Amino acid sequence: MSGQGGRRGRRMQHLGLHVFLVAFSLIAVYPVLWVFTVAFSGQQNLAFVELPPDPGFLDRLRAVAPWPAQFSLRNFVDVLDQQPFLRWMLNSAIVAGLTTVLGVFLACTAAYAFSRFQFPGRRAGMMSFLVSQMFPGTLLLVPIYIIITQWLGLGNSFIGLVLVYSVTAIPFCVWMMKGYFDTIPIEIEESAIMDGASRQVIFFKIILPLAKPAVAVTALFSFMTAWNEFILAATFLEEELKYTAPVGLRFFVGGFSSEWGYFAAGSIIISIPVVFLFLYLQKYLVSGLTAGGVKG
Amino acid sequence: MSLVAGSAYLEDPAVLAARAARRPAWLQPAAIGALLGALLALALSWWFVSQQRAERAEDAWNRGVIMQLMAVADAAAAVERRDGTGAEQALQGLLAELTDGDGHFRVVRLSGSRLLASTAPADRDEAAAPRRLSRDEKWLFDLAQGLRAAVETNVSESVFRRRQVNVEALGQDQMRISLPYFVDGQVAGIVLAERERVLQPSRPSAVAATAGVGLAWLAVGGLVLLRRRQGVSPDPAARNWGLFGAGVLVLAAITAGHGLLELGGLERWQRELTDGLSDRFLELREEAAYLGGSLGVAIDPGRDNRWDVDLFQRELGVIGGDGRLREAVLDADIDARAAGLRKAITGNLGLGLLLFAFFALGAATRTGRALRDNRHAYMYVLPAMFGMLILVFFPFAYGITLSFTEQTALNVGEPITELFVGFSNYLRILGDFQVFRSTAEGAVINYQNFYWTLFITICWTVTNVTVGVTFGMLLALALNTRGLRFTNLYRVLLILPWAIPNYITALIWRGMFHQQFGVINQAIQMFGGEPVAWFDGVFSAFMTGLITNGWLSFPFMMVVILGGLQSISQDMYEAATIDGASKWQQFWQITLPSLKPTIIPAVIISVVWTFNMFNVIYLVSGGEPAGANEILITKAYKIAFEEYRYGYAAAYSVVIFLILMVYGVLQTRLTRATEATTS
Amino acid sequence: MSMRKHIPAVTALVTLVGLFVWGSASAAELVVWHAYRGAERAAFEKVAEIYNAQSSGTKVKLLAVPFDAYADKITAAVPRGRGPDVFIFAQDRLGGWVEGGQTIEPIDFFIEDETLEQFLPNMMDAMTYRGTVYGLPFNYKSITLIYNKALVPTPPATSGELVEVAKRLTNVPTGKFGLAYEFSNYFFHAALMNAFGGAVFDANANPTIDRQENIDAINLMLRWYRDDGFLPADPSAALISTLFNTGNAAMVFSGPWFLAEIQPGVDYGLAPLPKLDELDGEPMRPWLTIEGVYVSAASKHKEEAYDFATFLVSKEAALVMALEGRQLPTNRHAYEDDRVATDPVLAAFRKQLETAVPMPNFAEMTLMWSPVTTAMNRITRGSATPEAALATAQEQVAAGIAALRRSN
Repeated sequence: MSGQGGRRGRRMQHLGLHVFLVAFSLIAVYPVLWVFTVAFSGQQNLAFVELPPDPGFLDRLRAVAPWPAQFSLRNFVDVLDQQPFLRWMLNSAIVAGLTTVLGVFLACTAAYAFSRFQFPGRRAGMMSFLVSQMFPGTLLLVPIYIIITQWLGLGNSFIGLVLVYSVTAIPFCVWMMKGYFDTIPIEIEESAIMDGASRQVIFFKIILPLAKPAVAVTALFSFMTAWNEFILAATFLEEELKYTAPVGLRFFVGGFSSEWGYFAAGSIIISIPVVFLFLYLQKYLVSGLTAGGVKG
Repeated sequence: MSLVAGSAYLEDPAVLAARAARRPAWLQPAAIGALLGALLALALSWWFVSQQRAERAEDAWNRGVIMQLMAVADAAAAVERRDGTGAEQALQGLLAELTDGDGHFRVVRLSGSRLLASTAPADRDEAAAPRRLSRDEKWLFDLAQGLRAAVETNVSESVFRRRQVNVEALGQDQMRISLPYFVDGQVAGIVLAERERVLQPSRPSAVAATAGVGLAWLAVGGLVLLRRRQGVSPDPAARNWGLFGAGVLVLAAITAGHGLLELGGLERWQRELTDGLSDRFLELREEAAYLGGSLGVAIDPGRDNRWDVDLFQRELGVIGGDGRLREAVLDADIDARAAGLRKAITGNLGLGLLLFAFFALGAATRTGRALRDNRHAYMYVLPAMFGMLILVFFPFAYGITLSFTEQTALNVGEPITELFVGFSNYLRILGDFQVFRSTAEGAVINYQNFYWTLFITICWTVTNVTVGVTFGMLLALALNTRGLRFTNLYRVLLILPWAIPNYITALIWRGMFHQQFGVINQAIQMFGGEPVAWFDGVFSAFMTGLITNGWLSFPFMMVVILGGLQSISQDMYEAATIDGASKWQQFWQITLPSLKPTIIPAVIISVVWTFNMFNVIYLVSGGEPAGANEILITKAYKIAFEEYRYGYAAAYSVVIFLILMVYGVLQTRLTRATEATTS
Repeated sequence: MSMRKHIPAVTALVTLVGLFVWGSASAAELVVWHAYRGAERAAFEKVAEIYNAQSSGTKVKLLAVPFDAYADKITAAVPRGRGPDVFIFAQDRLGGWVEGGQTIEPIDFFIEDETLEQFLPNMMDAMTYRGTVYGLPFNYKSITLIYNKALVPTPPATSGELVEVAKRLTNVPTGKFGLAYEFSNYFFHAALMNAFGGAVFDANANPTIDRQENIDAINLMLRWYRDDGFLPADPSAALISTLFNTGNAAMVFSGPWFLAEIQPGVDYGLAPLPKLDELDGEPMRPWLTIEGVYVSAASKHKEEAYDFATFLVSKEAALVMALEGRQLPTNRHAYEDDRVATDPVLAAFRKQLETAVPMPNFAEMTLMWSPVTTAMNRITRGSATPEAALATAQEQVAAGIAALRRSN
């Protein structure tokens, strides 16, 4: 079980895992490297293979390797320079941040009710959250536009977008958190109630910390829903300085000609905050329940 | 698990029942239900009937003005035919005489933008007709152009699609009606009337409706009293079928009686209006003949009455050229409208019965108690539900309504109620059984067929979710290993497919699959294989989408499962290891069941998203070859935005929704069943 | 007591402020939407500045909207009473917007003869739908022959020369092609179709996709692709641009948008599309995309909006857009200017205009792209004959149109 054999056994196992993970990381990263190639090439061409006549193995290998012919930061400089790209990213951050807060908050309370209370309409309610995702949104642009702009008067504002995005993100968040709440033993709460704690205190001081992984996942998900959305943002916003990042990014493609270098560079710039967010949220992806936390 | 909420208010059901039974008979839920149900049914019926009466009066008035305008149009055409575009003076006098101070009339000719004649008070002295239209009379010109274009559209497409008579409400009972006049078969201009619409007041009797409601209430209340006298005290929270049945009969009888009464009144009203119209027509004909004679032109409606037309300038045929009513046509028209109203009244009865049932079958009482008992829970759920209601379910309801119409971009201006086609959209979608087409090469699969597309969509969804879940699970398990180095680095790299906007990565993948210049074929050739024409074959094109979407979707699954893994406490694994269970057994017995509450929602959501994954199919394979790889959502998109058929696309979307809902319900039932057996 | 002595000053201040507000309120502000970027956008902004400087009352404010969201944004906003006063878009969406209603304001009433006479021939046709004029033509685009001067010293003038030159410069295994263009994209193929006298719609917007002339045009394209073999497979815009920039495509059929994608190292020239020997010298007739300036139906300042539109199509604005924005203006007086007349790019497209045909602006046009693209792909992949594929496309489009034309 332990000792030299065990440790070597574990290292062999870990070696296997490392091979697997490295292989998959390469698969995950390869197309992204092509995006980098286009972005750092300083040009606007999408990447295609170039071969000499009668190519051999090495020629093909060189063609398949994602490395730009010339290295240049021109695309990045132009993207940041010639349009208010950073401002657009800030707008996206505001919208996505508010969406995360609103979405997670609304989801938490609903999930808590679904998890802890038995009430008529509980199952129907949960199904309805699920069902709301099922209607294809292709035709719903006009009614949503009417509701947000005319009924609520929130056209050309971030709040309107935040509302729509949160509502889109809620169903998954509710289900995820409810499932997580279900795994938290009820005894913890009951003992806290007997100790005289109010429901608010229980929720914020006990339940939420234990559900950190679920909160982290739903926060990331809500953020991503809002961060990458294009068509609603493009339709609602009517000032250039209010555009969000995906809208600004789309300026580079579409119509007759496309500037792939700028688009690739912009895509990379847009992805950076997401990666940082993920890094930040990683530390919450740890177990909240330690062994022996419940007993005694 | 549940925590008892609001327990202070829970009382013994028997106590509650006894308390309820002591209330007087006419305040019992059944009676209240009858009252409200009858109120709903009769109020709605009353409202529909009053709408109908107003509408018919409006229609009749409009028709009167249209007849007048058609006469003027004939006059204008006759004058122009006789005198060419020269003598316009004659028309002014004719117009004034014919319309006789009935409002403001104008005749506008398109060529030269000329106002030929006008009885509007503003058009006098310097601004007297005939003259060129002034700058702020652009609307007149645009109106004329619009009607001309409508006539041209109808003629060239051989349909009656665009209205050739324009009826506009200007507010405060002012109406503006205009229609084109023809010279030598071409639209030469329009005639326009602005008049105040004064209608005879006509409302259905409110007394009858109120009496009906009162009667219903008394009847059911009486029944409750009777049952009490017999010693039976119905529990308001129980389902009292006998009482309900009796109540249904009462309500049906009352609604039907009221309906028949009103329909009879409506018919009499319509005949009255038509008689009035016929009188008006005769006056008009006489006047026109007289004026025409004095000018030497013939202004005559003809034997079949060319002046009484509908909004497409088609003869209605109810009032003959001699002013006599064609009874058969009138009867048919009345019957047609009555049929619609009868359906509406039946619908109202249905709604009223539903409301009655809600009370009589105890649901109202039960709901009230449930709300009271569980108000904490409902309060928690309310914010999220409210947001969903406004931003999800309203648009959804709009989509469903749209699916029962044939709205297209070409008739989007018309009110939706006129475009109802019932279930025909659905029948066309689901009834499309032509899966095979016979061509010169034999039977070939028809890729435009709904069922083929459904098949591909299901294959697409199943394979993608399987790939995503499998690899997500493997990666999450691998990353969760204790003591593994570099996990942070791996995690960051593995999340990149999700982080980078999928528009460009999908296009990069598309480029990678290019037959000659794509890296994948290069890699294949590197190892001695033959390049694959990815987008030429159905299966290979399917693989391009699968590979791309698999790549895009595994990070999400990985993160979700990673989160779920954190909820499993390590003691269970330690205990199992001590008991001698192998890693494999531990996985199946501990990990998988504990992950269920996390995975199941993720799988369901993933199925729903993949089913509706538009981007990848659109950008990578584009549905190639020949639309074989299209999925339902790309079809719906094409129908809406390329074929401009919004109603049909909505029906398509509802079909997609229903398929997914059936899946969702089955899936949750299945997992609940397994949960019950394993826990 | 002390408050009262401030009253006169306060009154004066309030009056001044009021006058100021009243004065500035009488100036109309026009919102203009466009989808330009880069040089075109800079030129357009300059034109707007010139207008603002010259105008005393009306001021113009521009908003750039990404192309992919543009049409949907207009369709969502304008019928609800929001959106711009003026917007610029190609004529292909015109029919759909007019039929939907409440989107574009007819401007027949405003137009004067002096405005009309300054346009090149055929331009106003594209802006007219069912006899009513809806916009002023702003610029045009069509495809033409763009060649690499290093590889092709003199451009081919006939299809025979084209084939000969292209075959000489093609070496498929190494990825070199004599000619590269999106031959399966019907917009590009229309140049051949129009030369053969074919058409997708007749005058009443009924589809005529399976006409013999269309089939003949496709057969010529197939000869070029399969028999002569100088065209690359699966041509996408990105591929063609890459091939030309790396010197692997000697000639390209593309439009002015392509020029912005050409790298500085490539010495390129422009020439009219060749005449077809198969048709006794009939030239290839590419489709024209004409961008129009439209007045929104929801605008509160329609006259001022029309005024700005007339400024945009005037010679002054046309020169800025041509020389700095690299657009092709529709104002014929612009071409009398030396700088425009001697510019190789502008002159080349002006020459191509002589044989170009405006793309139809029927609402039904959007229905035809998808079936026709599918047909073209099936034909080039060899899975269907031109007759069969076009017949299927014709069926689909006819069915779509019949569904739209429902009688009351």
